[in-house]
Amino acid sequence: MLKWCSEPCARYMLGKGGKRKFDEHEDGLEGKVVSPTDGPSKVSYTLQRQTIFNISLMKLYNHRPLTEPSLQKTVLINNMLRRIQEELKQEGSLRPVFVTASQPADPLGDSFREAQPAFSHLAAQPLLPADLVSAAPLEACLTPASLLEDDAFCTSQTVQHDGPTKLPPPALQPVKDSFSSALDEIEELCPAPTSAEAVAVAAETAADDSKDHPSESSVQRPEGVPESRTAEPKLMDPLPGNFEITTSTGFLTDLTLDDILFADIDTSMYDFDPCTSATGAASKMAPVSADELLKTLAPYSSQPVTPNQPFKMDLTELDHIMEVLVGS
Amino acid sequence: MEGESIYEVDSGDGLGADIISTVEFNHTGELLATGDKGGRVVIFQREPESKNEPYSQGEYNVYSTFQSHEPEFDYLKSLEIEEKINKIKWLPQQNAAHSLLSTNDKTIKLWKITERDKRPEGYNLKDEEGKLKDLSTVTSLQVPVLKPMDLMVEVTPRRIFANGHTYHVNSISVNSDCETYMSADDLRINLWHLAITDRSFNIVDIKPANMEDLTEVITASEFHPHHCNLFVYSSSKGSLRLCDMRASALCDKHSKLYEEPEDPSNRSFFSEIISSVSDVKFSHSGRYMLTRDYLTVKVWDLNMETKPVETYQVHDYLRSKLCSLYENDCIFDKFECAWNGSDSVIMTGAYNNFFRMFDRNTKRDVTLEASRESSKPRAILKPRRVCVGGKRRKDDISVDSLDFTKKILHTAWHPTENIIAIAATNNLYIFQDKVNSEMH
Repeated sequence: MLKWCSEPCARYMLGKGGKRKFDEHEDGLEGKVVSPTDGPSKVSYTLQRQTIFNISLMKLYNHRPLTEPSLQKTVLINNMLRRIQEELKQEGSLRPVFVTASQPADPLGDSFREAQPAFSHLAAQPLLPADLVSAAPLEACLTPASLLEDDAFCTSQTVQHDGPTKLPPPALQPVKDSFSSALDEIEELCPAPTSAEAVAVAAETAADDSKDHPSESSVQRPEGVPESRTAEPKLMDPLPGNFEITTSTGFLTDLTLDDILFADIDTSMYDFDPCTSATGAASKMAPVSADELLKTLAPYSSQPVTPNQPFKMDLTELDHIMEVLVGS
Repeated sequence: MEGESIYEVDSGDGLGADIISTVEFNHTGELLATGDKGGRVVIFQREPESKNEPYSQGEYNVYSTFQSHEPEFDYLKSLEIEEKINKIKWLPQQNAAHSLLSTNDKTIKLWKITERDKRPEGYNLKDEEGKLKDLSTVTSLQVPVLKPMDLMVEVTPRRIFANGHTYHVNSISVNSDCETYMSADDLRINLWHLAITDRSFNIVDIKPANMEDLTEVITASEFHPHHCNLFVYSSSKGSLRLCDMRASALCDKHSKLYEEPEDPSNRSFFSEIISSVSDVKFSHSGRYMLTRDYLTVKVWDLNMETKPVETYQVHDYLRSKLCSLYENDCIFDKFECAWNGSDSVIMTGAYNNFFRMFDRNTKRDVTLEASRESSKPRAILKPRRVCVGGKRRKDDISVDSLDFTKKILHTAWHPTENIIAIAATNNLYIFQDKVNSEMH
């Protein structure tokens, strides 16, 4: 059972730890605005997408069968990866910019809360990573959702927007501080051009962190954008030669899976508090599987996590989660 | 349904029983062929009804076993070619011999099965053991006579259809003209003449110019049972294409495209994968097609392309588990489906050694289990139920205790009677419906 539990955690924690705050706000408010519903609608869409992305990569590149792998399976997995990649690309190119130096965290939080009701009916819509806004263009956080209408992965709920139009990314501010150094670290591990995924990760974590460090001026976007742009052409290379050549020629040629999953990244900014979860209505008391893990990790406590809490997903905490899930 | 016989397909090489990979009745139902992962074919024959025991309808006993395919090595790609038998199809019987086609990933073979129950005795020049006689001992001439002997079943390879496929062969289908057959791999379908092995005609080719653009593969195909010019093939995107060979030599352009628009409320990351059709079968009447995708079986009317006329949920409780099933690869399992002789009942396999039957007329369905405990001879199969939380009755199985390693991928239904053959990993179960019981 631990096996089911730990791997998905390990995979996305690295990337999405920073996002937790966003989700926590989101979920906390969802509880107020929308009546909680069971099922996958509560799960962070991007969390699930990331997990599936990683699983797909593992499938393609981690096993070396003696016989030729099934072409049908390869094609289906490739299609899955392409779809996710396409989504990431769309989100990456339309992401608005983030906090300016003058924005304190709280007003940001408030303005964010104001934005929530607009999101409420989009509960099932994909949550864009780091849709943080400056107070002025509140619509910016609504904007990406409107794009979701065109996104192939929209759920059946149609987006009812009045207003929001696509805003061009506001002017970028110079990057400073420990963020950019952290970003640099990540970039080192992923030799340029990096994948949009790693970039998205970096951008998100950086962005979220800015909420915690309002004194620091903005963000990472400048780093993020050029990276993602250069990464795009590479990523958009259709999966090369998977079908004809059995040795793995990379989907992400310069970036191996190990870089994403097991890189030694400074995790101090990946705030994560796995133990504060009340498992809530959404969890099932059943043997843990990947699906259930996704469900239970989403509705975390709405308490804001203290900044710079070291991120550790060690066995004791895992055990604790298991108890909570399986117990009662 | 009564449990009748269980056979364990033993490879005989000391390694234990092998996983059954295909099951097929012949056109009369007298013979049942199974292929396994080790490249062997085992043929069962139904004993004629005995007058002494009128209630014991014929049982199936092993008739012949032979090694159809051997593992090969592709030196160009440095990969093994599996000897696993993907499909067996019987030819209609035209004389005393039986013939079948068996295929692995690359090569199709035509086997002829003959019986010998007499042998000539009394040769003039040879003695009983076949050695030449010393001519000086021959004093008179005799006419050799045929004397009965123990039944011997001889299987000989008559044709080997090799080098026709770059990709893995997933289906073969004999045409109603009894002269040609088709073989389909992931990207191409070839038409062969049964007597010609060095040539085949390519009738469908969906390989894109640039392999990197590949997003869809062929998953199954079959000839129409009555119209020798029509065939259908299914794709990994859930569509069916009916093609007419009279229209053009290369049938890339379909005559009819059967596709059901996606249900937006069920949209998920896995929508495409679970829509991939794993099997397609024409009804005996030729009016309908049966398809199996991961969660449903669907009946299509050949005259209606927009949606199936009937959809049956096989195991919808798996819908919330798709991520786990993707992770452990179960979502790629290819289940087959089958019609009964009168096209009124359809059958397909599931997990936990369960298989399902749907009565199209009464709209009732039943879940049965193929297991040793429930299949003692003459034991009646008890319907099973999978509970999805909520009230749980006794004997129900919960979704979380299903064994996903016990999958019933291959099933076959006797062409005229209510006898079914179920392959559960390395065991073959044969069930008979002695009384025409209703589905419940």
